[in-house]
Amino acid sequence: MDLALLSRVHLFPVRHHSPRTTAVLVRWLERVRPEVVLVEGPCDASGLVDVLCDEGTKPPVAILGYRTDGTPGSALWPFAEYSPEYAALRWAKATKARAEFIDIPVGVSLEVDREEAHGEEEAPESGVTPGESASGNAKAPGTGTATGKRAPGNVSRKPAKAPGAVAATGEPAPDDEAQESDVWEEPISERFARERGYRSFEELWEALFEAPAWTPEDFRPVLLAWADVLNAGPRREYHRWREAFMARRVLEVVASGVPPEKVAVIAGAAHVAAFLANDVDAAQESRLPEGVPCAVTVIPYSFPRLAEQLGYGAGNRAPHFYQKAHEAQGDFRRATLEVLIDFAGHLRMRGFTASLSDVLEAYRLALALADMREKSAPGLDELREATVATLCRGDATHVDDFLWKSVIGHQVGRVASRIGRNSLQAEFWREVDARRLPRSDSPETFSLRLNNDVEVGSSVFLHRLRVAGIPYASLSGAGQQRGAAPQEAGGYAALTRVRESWQAQWTPSTDVALVEKIVLGDTLEAVTTRVLQERLSAAKTTAAAADVLLESVITGCPQTVASALRACDARAATDSDLPSLASAARALSGLVAYGTSRAHAEVGDEAVAVLCEKTFGRALLRVREASACAPDAVGAVLEALRTLHEVALAQPRADKAGWLAEARALMESHAVHPATSGLATGLLYLARELSESDVALEVGRRLSLAVEPEAGAAYLEGFLQVNALVLVKSREVVKALDDFLSGVDAERFRQTLPVLRRALGALGPTERRYLMENVVAVRQLGARAHAVKGVLEEKDKERLEGMSAELGKALDDLDDLL
Amino acid sequence: MPDIRLPAEAKYRNELEALAAHDDRPRPPGWALSPRAVETYILGSPKPVGGVPITPKYVGDKSLIQVCIATLASDRALMLVGEPGTAKSWLSEHLSAAISGTSALIVQGTAGTSEDHLKYSWNYALLLAQGPSAEALVPSPVLRAMRLGKFARFEEVTRTSPEIQDSLISILSEKQVSIPELGEVVSAQRGFNLIATANTRDRGVNEMSAALKRRFNFVTVPVVEDLEQEIQIVTKREAELRNDYQVGVPPPEELSRLLLTLFQELRKGVTKDGKTKVRTPGAVLSTAEAISVLFNSSILAEQFGGGKVTPNELAASLVGAVVKEQEDDVKALREYMETVAKGRTGPWKELYTASKKLLRG
Repeated sequence: MDLALLSRVHLFPVRHHSPRTTAVLVRWLERVRPEVVLVEGPCDASGLVDVLCDEGTKPPVAILGYRTDGTPGSALWPFAEYSPEYAALRWAKATKARAEFIDIPVGVSLEVDREEAHGEEEAPESGVTPGESASGNAKAPGTGTATGKRAPGNVSRKPAKAPGAVAATGEPAPDDEAQESDVWEEPISERFARERGYRSFEELWEALFEAPAWTPEDFRPVLLAWADVLNAGPRREYHRWREAFMARRVLEVVASGVPPEKVAVIAGAAHVAAFLANDVDAAQESRLPEGVPCAVTVIPYSFPRLAEQLGYGAGNRAPHFYQKAHEAQGDFRRATLEVLIDFAGHLRMRGFTASLSDVLEAYRLALALADMREKSAPGLDELREATVATLCRGDATHVDDFLWKSVIGHQVGRVASRIGRNSLQAEFWREVDARRLPRSDSPETFSLRLNNDVEVGSSVFLHRLRVAGIPYASLSGAGQQRGAAPQEAGGYAALTRVRESWQAQWTPSTDVALVEKIVLGDTLEAVTTRVLQERLSAAKTTAAAADVLLESVITGCPQTVASALRACDARAATDSDLPSLASAARALSGLVAYGTSRAHAEVGDEAVAVLCEKTFGRALLRVREASACAPDAVGAVLEALRTLHEVALAQPRADKAGWLAEARALMESHAVHPATSGLATGLLYLARELSESDVALEVGRRLSLAVEPEAGAAYLEGFLQVNALVLVKSREVVKALDDFLSGVDAERFRQTLPVLRRALGALGPTERRYLMENVVAVRQLGARAHAVKGVLEEKDKERLEGMSAELGKALDDLDDLL
Repeated sequence: MPDIRLPAEAKYRNELEALAAHDDRPRPPGWALSPRAVETYILGSPKPVGGVPITPKYVGDKSLIQVCIATLASDRALMLVGEPGTAKSWLSEHLSAAISGTSALIVQGTAGTSEDHLKYSWNYALLLAQGPSAEALVPSPVLRAMRLGKFARFEEVTRTSPEIQDSLISILSEKQVSIPELGEVVSAQRGFNLIATANTRDRGVNEMSAALKRRFNFVTVPVVEDLEQEIQIVTKREAELRNDYQVGVPPPEELSRLLLTLFQELRKGVTKDGKTKVRTPGAVLSTAEAISVLFNSSILAEQFGGGKVTPNELAASLVGAVVKEQEDDVKALREYMETVAKGRTGPWKELYTASKKLLRG
């Protein structure tokens, strides 16, 4: 291989997603007029060039490479319209030149990612590596990592990029630095910027590279000089392997008979600098690992995601702003003015005054600031400061709240229909369109009424996405009760809902997940069924199996309904854990009550009812045994008892009499944990199985001085967990309480205080008032209480102040004592 | 007797002269310095200019100063807004001194400010004797600034009545004042502009109209949140005050640190480690207030103490500063002492003991 030939082909250095580079590159291509355009990007995606350049494709879009061997793993190479690589492809298409990608295949770069993820364990930053998405993605496609985030053709998974380092090429160089030399603190590019009085590397880049109207002749050396600054430090080996690979691809093209002067190579500045310096070692290529089996496709991408990537090399702070600059052929003044006009529009729409003269003044101020800072055009920092000073009248909150979003933009790309969607993507988009669900990359809220088949269908669809782990929608509430505690999205709560509020937002990770999940099945139902089956086989307890059962019903997966029912039955026979059984009983009871119609299960509701009865019966058998538990386990048992009580009263098929007998036994037993006795007493009273005097008697007995105060307090804790209002309204109960509390001696009181505080701390203001009223009545404090009330009602501040001064003094005394 | 306080242009005359002598950048019409030199004057320079060290007048965000200067070079006036005591007037004084060479053309906005203060009034004796004449006219600072092509300063705009604010609108948009008695119209010379300040705590007293707001660019001067930065500001300004008034003894660094920690914690309502919530008093706890507390305690120490600033003096001045408006603030301070200061070591202990006596009374 004759590497010297490399310097004879036309090399053009770029930084990814840089409108200025794009503008200069296009002019340069016009001049050079190559016949073959070679672009840094995974070479196995060369077949997608036609799709990328199709009339029907509208950036931002991304090449998605994903593993096909069943192991999840993928990576993205996003393109905006102003990405130089994309412009080069478009130019080639327009002039009928041949266009190809020359970087290592997806499979190899995924493998490198994986190896590095393992190899780097000692490095502290590896844990937060954004770019590790390639593999991180695998584990949780629902999370943002699925966006894969990397620069086209570059391996930006390096965490070192995170602090905002963006190489000239958007790529390897700076992170080499941070990676190997100065561990994370300040990447060379940031230091470089700070030393020159800029606030960040991005600001420096805008001022020095984007804003000036460069000519191709001047721009190339400047970019290369910058690459040299970054390449000065030690480089990562891996880039050298890639450069060897790319060099070979270029030379192969030349060898095939294309004259070198008809070949143009568009690659990251660091790579081009290496090519020009003849710093390529062909032997390095053999060090690249074997690739994993992969496929590539093109998916839509979006501006918000592109903005998110800022920080490690492949994004922009404000894609919309750069798009404007691109449309104005790199005129950042014009872009600034257009954005300011947008801002004024947004402000007026929200009812603020923003006149044309304000816009002019903001524009003038932005130019003046750029001038003071010796920039040839305003950048984002000037735009922001000028907006705050003029349009926002010094108040930065509007900018942060809503204006800034519009420089980021919310544009979502579109991919030409000629590229096949897989069946999951097709199903997803068909359903989204048919059901009129949101399809933009900004959160939208809507609600579903679950009283008609259409909206139930939508709900099933959304729940399937949720269970399958496809990031799109999340449940934001059950509709009616605003401000109620957020509910779990699935499970028992989902059964009883009549309305659901959802928040949905399409992001590229939705499509990534859809592409990846195809290994689990070709339809959403199949994927969901598979996921649920896996969960079912991992389920060890009855409760876990019952949860899967509920999810199957909610997601309309009849197959799993049947198998989950069998699993519930099997687990319940051997399960000795009361909380698990109780929770399963509740789930089954819910199904009996609300039906399994969503799933159209063949098993029929009768099977569920029978199983519900059986499970409830099994749970009852465990009640006494479970209630004699250690103090630290009592919380779960109490919860289980309440669940059983609820089921017993609500579900006609449950053995109510059996439960009441068990509860009575608990109440009377001294062998069980006192809190369970207390709870049982409360529940029985509430179910009108005990009269008020019975309760008072029982409470009195339990709280008598013969009993250990700790046990008494625990009893109280369980007792007051049940509808405390009813209990504290009963004068007799309160009297028993009062006697108990005043009977405990000081030393013991201190010991029992934590438990008492827990028991009484749960009372709300209304309950406290009734409690106080009853205490007052029991102690016959009526007359004195009246006097206190008089003081309170009197608006006599002096007396109040006197009291608070006394109180203050008492507090001070207490201070001194302690 | 020398003046208690020299205006900025006198106090920093040699800095301004050195900057002007070495300023080769273009100056906007009517400006004594180029925008870049003004920036250097305000923010200070690490290397001396023409042998004169340039001290920082404002410590903080550089871009804020740049926005101010860029605004003043345009036809819009500059409005500095912020909490009381955030150095708005200080900044306005230094900007005028650097750009116009004078900071004396100032109108203090009050409820009693009348149109005369903004435009002109008469020397009535002369007026009666000679009738309206140029000699009998007493021009306002704003009118003089217009004639001279210099900056006028208008302090506390929101304290003035809407009528006065309205007449400001026409001055700012027409850049003219007509004097019908003399049949004359005074047009502003190049170099005229106006720096106003407004207090965010006064918002709502006399809210500015949208029309007036449109004549200004707004710069919010922030409360200093960085502890080290605030210590730097306070120490520097307090030393200057001691020098100006020739009283007081230098307080130890650890006490300035303690005081500003306390101020920042009370302002934010939570301790520096984020663990303890504290009640925020209603009184304004500005940087300026901190300077005055520190200066006050240094005088106390010199005159009535042992010649050394101790937490005792600090506590005495602190109580006076925090507890101004409402009795409730006593409680806030006491609570802070009980929950935060008490648990800390070193001077905090002494501060706690000292304040306990004061706050109980």
